[in-house]
Amino acid sequence: MEQIRNDIIYFLKSQSFMDSDTQFAENESLTKAGIIDSIGLLELLDHISERYSIEIPEDMLTPDNLDSLQGITNLIVKLKTERS
Amino acid sequence: MRIDSFITRTAKEDPGKIALEEGEKTISYGFLDKDIGRIASSMMEFGHCRFAVLAESGIQYIEMLMAVYRSDNIAIPLPIELAMFSLEHILDTGNIRHIIVTEVQYTRFGESFFDRFATVIVVSEDGSVNTLHKMILEESNDPHLRLVLYTSGTTGNPKGVMLSDRNLVANADSIIEVLGIKPDDKAALVISPHHAFGNSIIDSHLVVGGSIRIGSMSFIGSVFSMMKSGVSMFYGVPSTYRLLLRYPAKFKQAFMNIKVAATAGGAIDDIIVKNLKGSNRDLRVVPMYGQTEATARLAYLPSEDVDKFVDSIGKAIPGVTLDVFDADGCSVGPNITGELVASGDNIMLGYLDDEIATGKKIINGWMHTGDLAEKLPNGYFRLLGRKDDIIKIGDHRINPRELERYIQKNIDVSGVFVVPVPHNILGNAICLMVMPNSSTDVASVLSFCRKNLPGYLCPLEVLCIDQLPLSENGKISNRSIIEGYRNVKNSM
Repeated sequence: MEQIRNDIIYFLKSQSFMDSDTQFAENESLTKAGIIDSIGLLELLDHISERYSIEIPEDMLTPDNLDSLQGITNLIVKLKTERS
Repeated sequence: MRIDSFITRTAKEDPGKIALEEGEKTISYGFLDKDIGRIASSMMEFGHCRFAVLAESGIQYIEMLMAVYRSDNIAIPLPIELAMFSLEHILDTGNIRHIIVTEVQYTRFGESFFDRFATVIVVSEDGSVNTLHKMILEESNDPHLRLVLYTSGTTGNPKGVMLSDRNLVANADSIIEVLGIKPDDKAALVISPHHAFGNSIIDSHLVVGGSIRIGSMSFIGSVFSMMKSGVSMFYGVPSTYRLLLRYPAKFKQAFMNIKVAATAGGAIDDIIVKNLKGSNRDLRVVPMYGQTEATARLAYLPSEDVDKFVDSIGKAIPGVTLDVFDADGCSVGPNITGELVASGDNIMLGYLDDEIATGKKIINGWMHTGDLAEKLPNGYFRLLGRKDDIIKIGDHRINPRELERYIQKNIDVSGVFVVPVPHNILGNAICLMVMPNSSTDVASVLSFCRKNLPGYLCPLEVLCIDQLPLSENGKISNRSIIEGYRNVKNSM
């Protein structure tokens, strides 16, 4: 869990979505904080699918699953568990 | 009438009617009207002052915007997607001394960002209004000014477009008529409300007493589910539809019960039209054309003509007159290229604090769109590229979009883009970027040009590309093409 979380943060920082010193809470909205928008999310989704070899069903492309670090981490864990 | 007074009217006639929906939240006209009044009361003492509105898309944004209107001030929505320096540029050049901001954005931008303002009003999630500091300063503004919308700034710095109550109501009325918006319609607002297109969706549906469901294109799953929650009218720019089309099966389901799918902000293509019509036989697809300087809309293509005239912008919306002028400002006949001009009650008052730019845009009451166009024999208009995109090669003036069309019609490719490049004798010359299909042969492209075009139009080089050279807001212009060309060159 921790590792997935760190990986997402690393991705957001390495792709310049946010500065290396940006701090934000687990459940803070990434869109409202201006970190990511619809096009940025596409990049993030591609990264997640590739990195964890998972397909994210359209029904799951919702704010609950994608708008916070916590949501994204939970989504990946859930999809990985379903697959294995 | 001001836009917010239409909300008051519906609040009196049918207070329980749902006005706005966002996620789990809904608000009726009665409560919306009360909220607007409550927020407006914090701005009543200002006499027609410029107020920046800094809020993410949502019910709160609409309440704050309408509250600025109701307090007889001037709303200047800040496009929150802009980088900090662009926002600062807008605030400085626009002499904007007052701001109303959501708590979320206040926290995001940080206390020190707000030091520049004489007045800061923060609206929290629970609706409470908190005036942090307040200083009323004299301002001299056009007495009719109500709203300043910033153009997306494809060409340099964003410009502030000054709009009046009359502009806003006139354009809302035209859109209501063209799309047939009724009080029982529910609109999907998934694009930015801070620009002309999103703003026009808000105005037209609230004027008619209808409802709006607010969402965001960030979460496509949520967009698909909101479309199944009784939405009857969907609005998007071409890229909105392209994003949704990444999931064709869901796309088809989502549009099954939609009455009208309207587009604006760029040319729509056959693939989008085909997919929309394939999902629902009764769906009306209505491509629209406009500019921020015209409040939002200028023209629309009636849905029954979408198949036949998809490459045209159709005809003027009610209340607008369109014409094509030559370089001397005289109207020209069908099939002659000139500049598209427009007049009507929706044409802006001018650019904010920029009389020179205003004088170039509005001449003798006609707004010059900067778009080249021709009249078709049936009275429709077809766009032929930007006036600024004309390339001078030697003493020839070339419209790259016309040349692209000619080449594309005659050879086997899926896309052609003309790139102006410097030339030591002619000043400019051209290169071509082509999007090949399975049977494209680059050598034959060159030989076609060699045989069929004058020497100065023969490309110095033909490059293959695999994606459209679109600008950030999804449009094709010389600028985006040159940018695309540089990227290809750099990666070679």
